[in-house]
Amino acid sequence: MEIRPILSALMRSKVSMILIGVQVALTLAIVCNALFIIGQRLDHMNRPSGMNEADTFYIGSSGFGQGFDAQATIREDLALLRQMPGVASATSTNTVPMSQGGWNTGLSLQPHQKSSTADSAIYIVDDKGLDTFGVKLIAGRDFKPEEVTDIKFGDSLRPSVIIVTQAVAEKMFPDGDALGKSVYLNEDPPTSTIVGIVERTQQPWMESSSIENSTFVPAYMPYGNSSRYLIRAQPGRRDEVMKAVEQKLAESNTSRIIGKVRSIEETRKEAYAGDRAMAIILGAVIFALLAITALGIVGMASFWVAQRTRQIGTRRALGASRTDILRYFQTENFIITTFGLIVGGVLAYAFSLWMMQAYESPRLPWYYVPIGFLCLWALGQLAVLGPAMRASRVPPAVATRSV
Amino acid sequence: MLKMTHLQMVYRTHLIETHALRDFSIHVREGEFVAVTGPSGSGKTTFLNIAGLLEEFTGGEYWLDGVDVRGLNDNARSKLRNEKIGFIFQSFNLIPDLNLFDNVDVPLRYRGFAAADRKKRIEESLTRVGLSSRMKHYPSELSGGQQQRVAIARALAGSPRLLMADEPTGNLDSLMARGVMELLEEVNRQGTTIVMVTHDPELAARAHRNVHVIDGQVTDFDEEPRLRKSGSGESGVGSGLKAPASV
Repeated sequence: MEIRPILSALMRSKVSMILIGVQVALTLAIVCNALFIIGQRLDHMNRPSGMNEADTFYIGSSGFGQGFDAQATIREDLALLRQMPGVASATSTNTVPMSQGGWNTGLSLQPHQKSSTADSAIYIVDDKGLDTFGVKLIAGRDFKPEEVTDIKFGDSLRPSVIIVTQAVAEKMFPDGDALGKSVYLNEDPPTSTIVGIVERTQQPWMESSSIENSTFVPAYMPYGNSSRYLIRAQPGRRDEVMKAVEQKLAESNTSRIIGKVRSIEETRKEAYAGDRAMAIILGAVIFALLAITALGIVGMASFWVAQRTRQIGTRRALGASRTDILRYFQTENFIITTFGLIVGGVLAYAFSLWMMQAYESPRLPWYYVPIGFLCLWALGQLAVLGPAMRASRVPPAVATRSV
Repeated sequence: MLKMTHLQMVYRTHLIETHALRDFSIHVREGEFVAVTGPSGSGKTTFLNIAGLLEEFTGGEYWLDGVDVRGLNDNARSKLRNEKIGFIFQSFNLIPDLNLFDNVDVPLRYRGFAAADRKKRIEESLTRVGLSSRMKHYPSELSGGQQQRVAIARALAGSPRLLMADEPTGNLDSLMARGVMELLEEVNRQGTTIVMVTHDPELAARAHRNVHVIDGQVTDFDEEPRLRKSGSGESGVGSGLKAPASV
């Protein structure tokens, strides 16, 4: 390998080497951190809600006019929905995961506790709630029909039984014996008994620090004259059922307005639109940086090939094979890229440190930089390949041509 | 050492054919110092390029040190060129970003010599041309004559059997030119065959034998190598006259 003479020749034209080196360094630093952020966003976006998202959708109903009986309407609507073709299950609910709106409360172990033991989102459902959500019951039982009570909007929630997620159960009872235990929903008696534990149900709020802390409460509770229904269609029939449900509910009661029917998949898409946009923008930045760096290498290498045509011819005349010339330019690029990568590696970690301090971002995992080294080495070698091949085709007879 | 028989070199474009060399025959024996002369455009450089394996030819035969070079692929030509031939160019063709040591090292690296062997050869050849004290200098720090001396050192470092010189004094003033010529004569006396392309009759007169080329053909040549005065006494090659060259 001709590393030493190439290096000493490069040291005689430092500006070009520094320009490409700095470009490589900045690319590595930015690409590593941007990829890490994209990875975080993707992880964020791919968190499971715990629901059957593919088959479920929800729809709202808002009654108007004097004498509209919201409680009765909920029962009638649920009866109607459950007998419709293609509907696997239906429940009333106050909210759904990822919808960005809902209720939360603190769960306590003692009455009048100063600060609650666990914060939790509240899903107010009936005895078909777990089935409709499609959540997995991992301990205990589902709600019984007789446990589902009528609650007026504004009343305190005082259910005798609740079902919590595993996250809530572990937070409240770290020893793993939550089932059958009593907790306070509103710091005041009476207590609610945990009769079931589900594996996972996300809260409606995407940025929550306790995203899987959720509690199911058995009740029918309209929001004034408004109610919301979650429907699970039979597999593969969601879109067809969505249309039918919208039409059927609208026809069944003319004293109310039916809201837009939305699938959970659509809700997920909207909930993570910001994350997706960030990932796309950062992806575009990475692509642009890599392209600019590659073009910079191609440009500089092409310039050097043109500038050194006679020198290449001389080397050929002195015995260099085409492979030797190809290897020369690839080695030269490897050296410059390596210098850039060493500086870029330090910059990448420094940038990560700054992000940690400024934005409480997690530390850049160590392996990002070595992987970045490999990728940029490969990029550099690919970028220089064209000019290097052009150089290797310079005929040795160039050495004897007049200047 | 070098034998071309009925060599043809035709450059073709879609419009015209240019016969750079036609029916070109020459035989240079080991230890000779042959000057190839001729006016501009006569085919001297084409001859040099073909003889130096820098270019392929379109017809005829060429034997270099017993090797038929027809049909050799690029790698084989590069290897043969590196092992058998040393080049001296009119414009020196030193690599400006490498110091003298590294410049002389270029052909040795392609030869695959070990580092210690290369170092020894570089030091010896730079000493031979009187530049051993300037190994770490760059070409731009030397005069033209010194640069050509480095080029000669580079050409000699690999112990080639044939030295191809293309107007070696063309870019030098008369004093420097004389120095370079004396060096080439000394190299030749030590046994290296030299083929020098020049249009300078004065330089050509110092060779053992002249080959004159016009329009790609050999038009004139010395039947017998000349005796010439050189430094300490009468000398041809080695102990005296060489056998007549066939052209």
